[in-house]
Amino acid sequence: MTWLDDLRAAALVGTGRHAAPAPPAELGVRPPDGLSREESLLDQAALADVATRAARRPLDVEASALPQPAGPDDVPQADGDAARLLDLLLTQPPVGLELRNQLVADWLGLAERARRRVPHRLLPALLTLAENKAVIAERLDPAIGTRGRWLQDLAGPAGARTRPSMTSGGMASSAVASGTTASSPAESSLAMSSPSQFEQWIELGSAEATAVLQRLRRNDPNVARELLTRHWDNLGARERAAHLAVFALNIQAADEELLERALDDKAKTVREIAAGLLDRLPGSSRAQRMAARLRPLLHVKGLLRKQFEIELPGTPDAAALRDGIAADPRTREPDRLGRLDTIIRGAPLDVWTSASGRDPEGTLTLLSGEARVINAIVEAAVLRADVDWVRALLDVRSDARLLKCLPPGERQDAIVRLIQSGTEQALAVMPLLRDLPRPWGTPLANEVLALITSKKGGYLAAMVADFLPSALPPEAAEQCRRLLERADNDAPRRRVFRDVVQYQSFRQSLTEAFR
Amino acid sequence: MSVASGRMSTMARWTEERVIGAAPDQSSIAAARKLARPGPWSDTGSNDVLVWGKCQGSGKTPYQVSVDIAAPAYRCSCPSRKFPCKHALALLLLWARGEAAESGTETADFAEEWAAQRASRSAAREQRQSDQAADPAAQAKRLAERLTLMDAGIADFARWLTDLVRTGLASARTQPYSWWDGVAARLVDAQLPGLADQVRAMGSDVHARPDWADHLLLRAGRWWALTKAWTLRDQLSPSEFADLRATLGWATASADVQETEAIPGPWLVLGAHRSDDGRLQQQRTWLRAPDGSFVVVLDFAAQGQALTVPQLAGAVLDVTVARYPGSAPRRAMFTSPISPRGLAASLGEGCSIAQALDAEAAAVALSPWRDRRPVLLSGVRVCPGDPGWLQDEFGDALPVVDASLDSLLALTGGHPVDVFCELDEGRVRPLSLVVDGSVVVP
Repeated sequence: MTWLDDLRAAALVGTGRHAAPAPPAELGVRPPDGLSREESLLDQAALADVATRAARRPLDVEASALPQPAGPDDVPQADGDAARLLDLLLTQPPVGLELRNQLVADWLGLAERARRRVPHRLLPALLTLAENKAVIAERLDPAIGTRGRWLQDLAGPAGARTRPSMTSGGMASSAVASGTTASSPAESSLAMSSPSQFEQWIELGSAEATAVLQRLRRNDPNVARELLTRHWDNLGARERAAHLAVFALNIQAADEELLERALDDKAKTVREIAAGLLDRLPGSSRAQRMAARLRPLLHVKGLLRKQFEIELPGTPDAAALRDGIAADPRTREPDRLGRLDTIIRGAPLDVWTSASGRDPEGTLTLLSGEARVINAIVEAAVLRADVDWVRALLDVRSDARLLKCLPPGERQDAIVRLIQSGTEQALAVMPLLRDLPRPWGTPLANEVLALITSKKGGYLAAMVADFLPSALPPEAAEQCRRLLERADNDAPRRRVFRDVVQYQSFRQSLTEAFR
Repeated sequence: MSVASGRMSTMARWTEERVIGAAPDQSSIAAARKLARPGPWSDTGSNDVLVWGKCQGSGKTPYQVSVDIAAPAYRCSCPSRKFPCKHALALLLLWARGEAAESGTETADFAEEWAAQRASRSAAREQRQSDQAADPAAQAKRLAERLTLMDAGIADFARWLTDLVRTGLASARTQPYSWWDGVAARLVDAQLPGLADQVRAMGSDVHARPDWADHLLLRAGRWWALTKAWTLRDQLSPSEFADLRATLGWATASADVQETEAIPGPWLVLGAHRSDDGRLQQQRTWLRAPDGSFVVVLDFAAQGQALTVPQLAGAVLDVTVARYPGSAPRRAMFTSPISPRGLAASLGEGCSIAQALDAEAAAVALSPWRDRRPVLLSGVRVCPGDPGWLQDEFGDALPVVDASLDSLLALTGGHPVDVFCELDEGRVRPLSLVVDGSVVVP
């Protein structure tokens, strides 16, 4: 116990129960006689105060905690109006937040084209904004320059900052009494590039582990698979299910081995997720097994081979149960149609074309009466993004999921056709518009504007409000300006047109600033 | 020309940044931007001191807006409680951009009238103050009354301190906030508001700080020393007494300081910090004279009011300064109109962290009451972490407080730079740094 520890102990319980310690003779203190306990303690506290403040020591920070300095930026920084506009967008956006994000992304794109970079002082606000705004995050490079990438590396992929155990203040106990120095352990953030970091993943909480796995899966699916395979046996059922579900992203033939293993899993949830994922792999051996189950059920009947006759599958054997086909329930009738759906979803679609001897379009005409079967085929085609089948299916079904599988240009045309075919589709179409590449072509822009200016278009306008401004081509801005001048009592709709006009004029300022 | 124009020299047109700095909050400036277009404005104009105009609001009569850009002071006939309101800010924005309120027109009646009212009010105030000063007998009586009150307050506080340590700090921590607030209220009654603020802050610090026991113990020691110093005040040097007096919260009238000296510049603005304790906003602006000595200019504003526009870090100002009594670094006030001379490329010669701590130790010996000291660190690197550190070339480091580490890292890129900071309880609060030949604020 040092003098200061004694002093603190006495002060905490009070001099009523604990006398003040003797003043430290080594500091040359000679207190006057006749002090009460309280006076002695307070005198010593005053001494401790000045002694602590006069004896502060610098800290030692581990050399490893100091980052390598950033390399030089060889691209000149954006200045003048361009810098001011970015500052404005980041700190006091004059437009709605969704528009602001789009404009920041536009700024980054324009900077890239003009070979300019973000001024250093604006990087923190920009990087913070980009953290959960994908539209900005994907445009950061190269406009953020060397300094921006350096800052991103410092923050680490998991965004984890070092958290040393030291408390702030550098208090007396360490400074005066012992003269020791506090240190700052620099934990390395989770970079997932070395074997030891591979081991750390298992230590994370399950939600965080899933998030890390998901990021990894996006960037490097093979490493994600290796990671999960290695730890598979040590995970609980719930974790196995959650982690495996991540594999829907970038699914590939190489995943089959792990998925087959998961089909034998103890937990039903894991088996179901594995079966669902294998539905996406028409080349897998499970797909071949499903094909073998489906083929004998299909017969083309009629003199002109004009109709499919489809049998229902029988009671599943052990292999079929393993592949995810439902067993007989104990009390009710078995759901044979449900089993057929499962088989159709799992089997390759070419089973159908080889059975009919026709192309997908022709095959579907043979199935015209079989709505439920077509639905199952739609699901299979969507899961595998099989474009040939999707095109054929779009002639008989206007399903949003199918549209999503088309390449962007084709999708736009398909949406235009869909809108033209009747306004009752409009409600289903609106959410699809969000994912289309921007800016849209003029035909689509005209159709959408016509839709939302129609008599009941106000609620449609609200659905596209957040992305319409950046989606419309510049030519459409003039049209919106005219629409805005029109008398219209529908406030949300007016707001949408106003946003379009604002966005286009701000965008114009950005273009000029980079000229 | 208005009466007010006589007391100020020609003022430069404000920059847009300065207008933004005058806004009480973000939403005001956003509202002002929307209004800052010529459409709603009429009868705008400006002269050396005033900018005025009428703004068509939602009502029938347009709002009359006048701004004294020298003081600065604002007047608008709108009912907004924001101060300055969006109309005044919008007018200034237009004027700053050169889009309206060009000079040369005749001063509008309402602006003229307002300037005259202000001038007569301030004349009356000065008159009142000089009347008070005129009666030395009454003054001496007031002083004696104040000292009696303070003596009793200090004695009461010393008794409270002995009670505190007799029952123990642990039991003090179980007391509700009202207990601390009651002690503070007694100190205010005894005309010791500076001490009262410290006690109030302790009421929350004992729960907020992990090192509360040490903090309270050492602070109680310092309070005890203050009571001792007060009783020995006759033996103190004038500057020691001035420090004591400032700590207890016995204000020195600015009029008393203004007359004493006028130190010419050029003064270098090292940096500024704004703090807000929920009751009062404070702005500290650190300046350095050509001889290297530091002073600090303090500005205060109540909640919701705008502080004066901060001076730009790195600016070199032509202005005269008068210092309050006390030990270095002394509090100071501007005694002449401020005219910026230019921007400095560096803040001058700095020191190492070890030297800064040595200077701190020496300063504690000189004036033990003060918490914060200015320090210019040379060649320090920013080390990320929580809270983050500044490290000098000798490997010494100090933790950073109240600063965005991301911003420090973005500006420095991990390279060594000169940083001006406040040294506060062994931590540094960076206020400005020198990067590539210019002074920037993190």
